[in-house]
Amino acid sequence: MAEQRLGLLAVRPILAMNLLATLLAIGQVYAVSMLLVGRDFGSFAGLFATLALSRAALSYAIEMRAFGIGASARRRLRTDLLGRLLAAGPAMLRTRHSVELTAVVVDRVEALDGLFARYIPAAVFALGGPVVVLAAVMAFDPWSAAVLLGCGLLVPIAMAVAGIGAAAATRRQFLAMERLQARFVDRIRGIATIVLLGRAEDEATRMAAAADELRVRTMRVVRVAFLSSAALDLAAALALISIAVHFSMGGAALPVALFVLLLVPEFFAPIRAFSAAYQDRLHATAAAEAMVDVPPLPAPLPPREIRTVAAQGITVVFEDVRFTWDRARPTALNGLSFRAAPGEILVLAGPSGAGKSTIIEMLLGFIRPDSGRVTINGADIADVVPQALSRFTAWIGQRPVLFAGTIRDNIRFARPEATDAEVAAAAASARVTDFADALPQGLDTPVGEGGFGLSGGEAQRVAIARAYLKDAPLLLLDEPTAHLDPATEAEVLESLQRLAIGRTAILASHSAAAHTFGGRRLNIREGRAA
Amino acid sequence: MIADLLRILGLWRGRVLWLTAGVLVSLAAVASAVGLMAYGGLAATGLLGLPPILRALGAGRVLLRYTERMVTHAAMFRAQSDVRVWFFRRLASGSAGGLGFRRAGDLLARLVGDVQVLDGLYLRILVPLAGAVLLLPIVVWGSGPIVGALFVLAAFVMPWFAARAARQAGDSLAKTAGGLRVAALDALTGLREVRAFAAEGRMLALVQAREAALLAAQHALAGRVALAGALAFLCGQAALLGALWQGEFLAVFLVVAGFEAIGGLPRAGALIGHAAAAARRVLEAADTPDPVPDPVDAAPPPAGTRLRFEGVCFRWSPDRPDVFDGLTLDIPQGARIALLGPSGAGKSSLAALVLKVAVPQAGRITLGDTDIATIPAASLRARIAWLSQATHLFDDTIRANLLLARPEATDTDLWAALEAARIAEIVRALPDGLDTWVGEGGTRFSGGQGRRLALARTLLSSAPILILDEPCAGLDAETERAFLTVLNNVAEGRTVVLIAHRLVGVERLDRIFRLSRGKAVAAAG
Repeated sequence: MAEQRLGLLAVRPILAMNLLATLLAIGQVYAVSMLLVGRDFGSFAGLFATLALSRAALSYAIEMRAFGIGASARRRLRTDLLGRLLAAGPAMLRTRHSVELTAVVVDRVEALDGLFARYIPAAVFALGGPVVVLAAVMAFDPWSAAVLLGCGLLVPIAMAVAGIGAAAATRRQFLAMERLQARFVDRIRGIATIVLLGRAEDEATRMAAAADELRVRTMRVVRVAFLSSAALDLAAALALISIAVHFSMGGAALPVALFVLLLVPEFFAPIRAFSAAYQDRLHATAAAEAMVDVPPLPAPLPPREIRTVAAQGITVVFEDVRFTWDRARPTALNGLSFRAAPGEILVLAGPSGAGKSTIIEMLLGFIRPDSGRVTINGADIADVVPQALSRFTAWIGQRPVLFAGTIRDNIRFARPEATDAEVAAAAASARVTDFADALPQGLDTPVGEGGFGLSGGEAQRVAIARAYLKDAPLLLLDEPTAHLDPATEAEVLESLQRLAIGRTAILASHSAAAHTFGGRRLNIREGRAA
Repeated sequence: MIADLLRILGLWRGRVLWLTAGVLVSLAAVASAVGLMAYGGLAATGLLGLPPILRALGAGRVLLRYTERMVTHAAMFRAQSDVRVWFFRRLASGSAGGLGFRRAGDLLARLVGDVQVLDGLYLRILVPLAGAVLLLPIVVWGSGPIVGALFVLAAFVMPWFAARAARQAGDSLAKTAGGLRVAALDALTGLREVRAFAAEGRMLALVQAREAALLAAQHALAGRVALAGALAFLCGQAALLGALWQGEFLAVFLVVAGFEAIGGLPRAGALIGHAAAAARRVLEAADTPDPVPDPVDAAPPPAGTRLRFEGVCFRWSPDRPDVFDGLTLDIPQGARIALLGPSGAGKSSLAALVLKVAVPQAGRITLGDTDIATIPAASLRARIAWLSQATHLFDDTIRANLLLARPEATDTDLWAALEAARIAEIVRALPDGLDTWVGEGGTRFSGGQGRRLALARTLLSSAPILILDEPCAGLDAETERAFLTVLNNVAEGRTVVLIAHRLVGVERLDRIFRLSRGKAVAAAG
């Protein structure tokens, strides 16, 4: 609503320009009528041409102004939305596919452009424009004015009838589009698996079904738009014919008849623009609904410093922590308590699904305990802003996400302001250099999606280099070797062991090799320490 | 530019009836609009008194206009679906080895954004152009050569110039729109990394920068479109003035109706550059050559499943070291063998060669005594099930993920496979059982569980040859032994190639090979 009010303010100059354009159009119609009945060609042609030039300039200005309004609205909304998504963090990915979230940030914000650049200006002008034309007609032929008014009033009624269910249709169209997008990206990411299983044709058929659903949904939406535009055409034709018949029976002098007749399209032009933009509003409404699903920015927490002096290190304490991912699943953490002292290496052991990853995610601040307390150096983790939390933690997961760029870019991601020498040192410590040196472009070798071009172990080494570069006092390792063969696993664990020296390290692993990691072992069974 | 657009038109072939119908209805709508205007004008000025015809034309015009829009859009959306499916098929045919350096977000931008842009080619350019061709003789006949010349200017010359002037802007618009989507998807896929490294601000700034580039491109294009629109308007006004100068009523009304029908063309012309750039991006991504094209004349399906490598030499690219240097290996039908070797010894490359993801530089590989180079890839892959390190779990249910391997499998088959992969118990405990959603990339399961689901999928396949690449990675020692014991019985009668770093001791194997220095050496069992 606040957005709409903002939009209304911004369109005032457009409204003024539009009204001016209508006045110019009336002037042109007057000139044409005069010319048609054979008045002095030179002067009326001059008037007509001058008005035409002004209208052209005006329409250009209106268009560019509307673009500016739409662009700044999109800029503002996209920043706000993405900021909220980034603040909500990885918990979003449990329930929504990253592609759906991307569609919200990209497509739905783009869809709002229509609301600001077209719908709001058109809606404001849909009343003013016709009234000005009506006044001009009224001055010469009240009967025609009455006909125009009657036909004009038919339009909103017809549009409302045609538009019943339109909002639902638009919502379904968006859903169909997101479904197609998510399906495509998901299948494309696993395209090799599909091709090697010989299922490419089946998937193409399913893709066709998803594309077809989108087509059917889109047709339902455009049908509404076309119906309301047909209603408009009908009203305009009705007006034109009634007035023409009225004049053909000798209703008025020829110049007046021409003037009124030629004004009919001008009367309907603003309504036509409004009807065309109505679809934009439907899109925008549906788009806005999806944005409401995105959680608002969390209220800023009072800054609370955590003692992170390296000499003191980091103490992590879990006190009777309970957590459930969703009601359909068994409880992930069920009254878990433990303590990790500064500089200690704590190995969380237990079968997969025991709740080890949940502990790590909690320490990363991705999720909050349902009950109980997690403290870091005595401060409740719930009171620590995510940025402060991530300042003193380094995390290595099962499979690192490598971004578009080179190996060097991906290491530097941990600390953008690091010098080349620091990046090189981190690469050497994590033994990235061992394999990077064999590559033709070394650290500047580009990396594909999912770490293409690198083996699983090599990608994990890049993640270790990130942790070296970050040099944080708390190290969280979530099954860092789950996807690695035993030889690579041993090498990676050896690198991690060196990285863990002098830090509080928590390693979640069910691998037998983790026994050799050293440190204290905490067995987790069904969400509690066994 | 033109060549790309023509190729896209070629892709619409299948919908030629729909598309033609759209053009014909549109022509009828244009004709009725012009007729209505001419008759209406003449009737009003008392030169003609035929109200019945007028009513018919009025009603016909409304009906035709609605039908035109419905038919042209229905035709276009059908053609659009076709292009999307074609795009996916083309991508699949060249991607047995995965996406490589292409990014899913970029391909998505092409599938969604760029394909959508192409609809303007038909709806806003081709259909109105057909109308313009129909109208030209009528306008020349009714309004004279000067107005006719202006009509040609607005309908054909200005769109062409607009297309030229806006080409650059359209080009960068297509690119920057894709860039924004890639950046947003990158940031949101990597939400964990972003949070863990407090990169929220950086990611937001990156997306904002991409958005700024997009807005700049849109602004440049919008300016040209608006200019083309204003010039088209002026052209129409000049024509009107020309008709008025002649002083004929019919001429005036024809000009009004005629220019209304084609007034959008110069604007649409400015969008051609964008459409052409979009077409190029779609075609470019779809044109990735298949690294291992199918043989021209395929051999009949091989009789047996004996696999032989004869002097195979292979490297992934000329600047990478040799993986195999004269590899010779014989795997008899139904044999159970293990291939051991440290990481980097080429264990996965061997599977890639057998599945024709890559081709050896020298030597040959035979299946049932037929060179696999002469066997179509699809028929070869139907005989071999491969559990790779990169096997992907799809954002779908467990059932759908498993059925990929054998669509006709019954629930009993699915449970048997889950049982063999030692994951049935966990799945049974889930409230939705087989219908549990696995999440993006299998995120709703832990790494080890996801790996076992992938393993179950491979075991479910009915292929006579199983290649299992480190099937026990991510399993704990106990589960690993249990799985290998089950494997001894599950794959009875099938060839099993177990690729591993080491053996546990419970495997029942016929032969063991060790890969070293690009060759396979028989090792003592």
